[in-house]
Amino acid sequence: MARVLVVEDDVQTAAEIAAALGDSGFDVDCAHTGREGLLKAGADTYEAIVLDRMLPGGVDGLTVLSTLRTVGVEAPVLILSALSAVDERVRGLRAGGDDYLTKPFEFLELTARIEVLVRRQAIPRRDTMLHVGDLEIDLLSREVRRAGRLVELLPREYHLLEYLMRQPNQVVTRTMLFEEVWGYHYDERTNVIDVHIGKLRRKLDEGGLPTLIYTVRSSGYVLRAAE
Amino acid sequence: MSSVRLSDLRRTTSFRLALLFLALFGAASLTLFGFLYWQTAGYLQSGTDEWLARELAGLVAASPSQLIEHLNEHAARDPEGDRPFALFDAAGHGVAGKVANLPTPSPSDRPFEFRLNRRGEAVTFRGLAHRLPSGDIVLVSQNVHEMHEFRELLIGAMAWGGLLVLIMGLAGAAVIGAGSVRRIDEVARAIERIVNGNLAERLPTRGTAGDLDRLVDVVNGMLDDIERLMHEVKGVSDGIAHDLRTPLTRLLAGLERAGRRAASVDEFAAAVDEAIVETKAVLSTFGAMLRISEVEDGARRTGFTTLDLAAIAADVRDFYEPLAEGKGVSFSLKDESGGSAKMAGDPSLLFEAIGNLVDNAIKFTPSGGRVTLRIIRANENLGVIVTDTGPGIPAEEREAVLRRFYRAERSRHTPGSGLGLSLVAAVARLHGLDLVIEDAKPGCRVTLRREGASSWPTLAAAVTQDTLPAALGR
Repeated sequence: MARVLVVEDDVQTAAEIAAALGDSGFDVDCAHTGREGLLKAGADTYEAIVLDRMLPGGVDGLTVLSTLRTVGVEAPVLILSALSAVDERVRGLRAGGDDYLTKPFEFLELTARIEVLVRRQAIPRRDTMLHVGDLEIDLLSREVRRAGRLVELLPREYHLLEYLMRQPNQVVTRTMLFEEVWGYHYDERTNVIDVHIGKLRRKLDEGGLPTLIYTVRSSGYVLRAAE
Repeated sequence: MSSVRLSDLRRTTSFRLALLFLALFGAASLTLFGFLYWQTAGYLQSGTDEWLARELAGLVAASPSQLIEHLNEHAARDPEGDRPFALFDAAGHGVAGKVANLPTPSPSDRPFEFRLNRRGEAVTFRGLAHRLPSGDIVLVSQNVHEMHEFRELLIGAMAWGGLLVLIMGLAGAAVIGAGSVRRIDEVARAIERIVNGNLAERLPTRGTAGDLDRLVDVVNGMLDDIERLMHEVKGVSDGIAHDLRTPLTRLLAGLERAGRRAASVDEFAAAVDEAIVETKAVLSTFGAMLRISEVEDGARRTGFTTLDLAAIAADVRDFYEPLAEGKGVSFSLKDESGGSAKMAGDPSLLFEAIGNLVDNAIKFTPSGGRVTLRIIRANENLGVIVTDTGPGIPAEEREAVLRRFYRAERSRHTPGSGLGLSLVAAVARLHGLDLVIEDAKPGCRVTLRREGASSWPTLAAAVTQDTLPAALGR
């Protein structure tokens, strides 16, 4: 079971995060100050760290992060912040963060991102073929086949599908797709991503095949083999 | 307006100015009058002196016997004694003529003035005396009483004239000063009313384009801005009240209803789901508001990089293409930047802003219409134009749609927070661009461009090219 450290000064928020991650199958430890967070992260190994950007007591989130990186702790860190400015985000990532989430956030978003961070370490990226059920893509030739039939995709659709196939059976939120596939960072609130997913889904499911891309609680998608 | 007090008057600028001019004018008049007086009096006196010298020369040239005769003849011609001639012995006693004793000062061949009694009155005479070789002294003189009277009249006239000017000047200064005191009082009272909360009040102008009017115009312009800002703030608070309170009320009502009536786990779950949807709506509105203030703060400029506007536009096209396609709206991108569309900016913000405009355009364009996204350039300045063939925005609403929370009447039924265009405007401002909404006949054209920096040569031509087929094609 993957272990996650949550460094968050607000006890109730920390408990909620721990509960949400616990529900997703993570083993969660909590720390409520930067100092405590440093000690725990340094003494133990975690697969991921959720780190609040602003912590009381002199040791704030970015200090914790850069200290951890200096002493060689490589666990992926997701920074939580009430500051949404782009330069805040850049500063967080530059200090060694792997992802950045602005408060308030949806717990689905948090758990989906943590899962991606944890899995990213576990799976080697050397594969040239990805398979989910009867769907396969060739990362080199960029060919997509469903049940042996070649599926024609636009470059953007291919990028979308590749990202989904790299996280099979995992929830991927709209925001994550938007950031990953289009490369812009803001909370896209329109339903345009749904339209893209809809098109992709239609192309993949052509010929009455069962769908592979499922919508999750109106805010994310999961790609999994049809039963 | 009898409320003008003397102490107020003394302090007014116009009264002080009037006084200063009065003093300057007085000094100038005094100089002029002095000069006139000096000239006139000098002319009269020199005339007398010349006559005296001439007469004296005539007498001196005559022999002693002729002299007596001349004197007697003269006395006969001058019974009034206005021009008395006389001869005195060396001791100064009268020998002939109408003057009994030699008046002092003694003869010096220079004109001098002396007094004689004439009919019981001391009258001023001007005389010239000469000592003859025999020791006798001959005197010619003239009554200059009239000349003196003329001089006094002149001085009197000047004094009275001066007094009159002084009084009129003071009165004029008082009137002007009182006028300006009244004016200032009017303005001050108007300001008091504004301070007391009547923001629609404006300072009174007289339409004379005077200096005070110019000042009042500037202040009135400032008041217009303040009033607009106050309305905007009020609009924002009203918007917050509406857009946040409504979902919060529904949230509370839903939870209370669940608490009262829900009997099964399913009913509770449904209530929780509803609550989550409402909470998300609140967070979304809240987030949008925060983002606008954050962008307006200008602090994000630190995140600026050199970006390719054409590449961002291409991404926007990519992103929104399926949306337009699904709606049966044709969506095209034209890069008219002429190759290089590099500028300093925040890519995410620009994508969001342009995307927002495109999203709106697609949303309001009916099936079969067109949406065009263009990158334009004028010299070093880049701009973006989004044109649609939708219903357009009525001229009177174009300013209002930029306000926060404003929802055009026709868009009430479409989803959105009413913050989209405010965000676009804020992003545009951050990048030094202005948001211009125009009529594309038919449809709407929204332009982001640097206003006034330079002409936009491609604009006029492009507009006609763009609108004609659109108009004909529909």
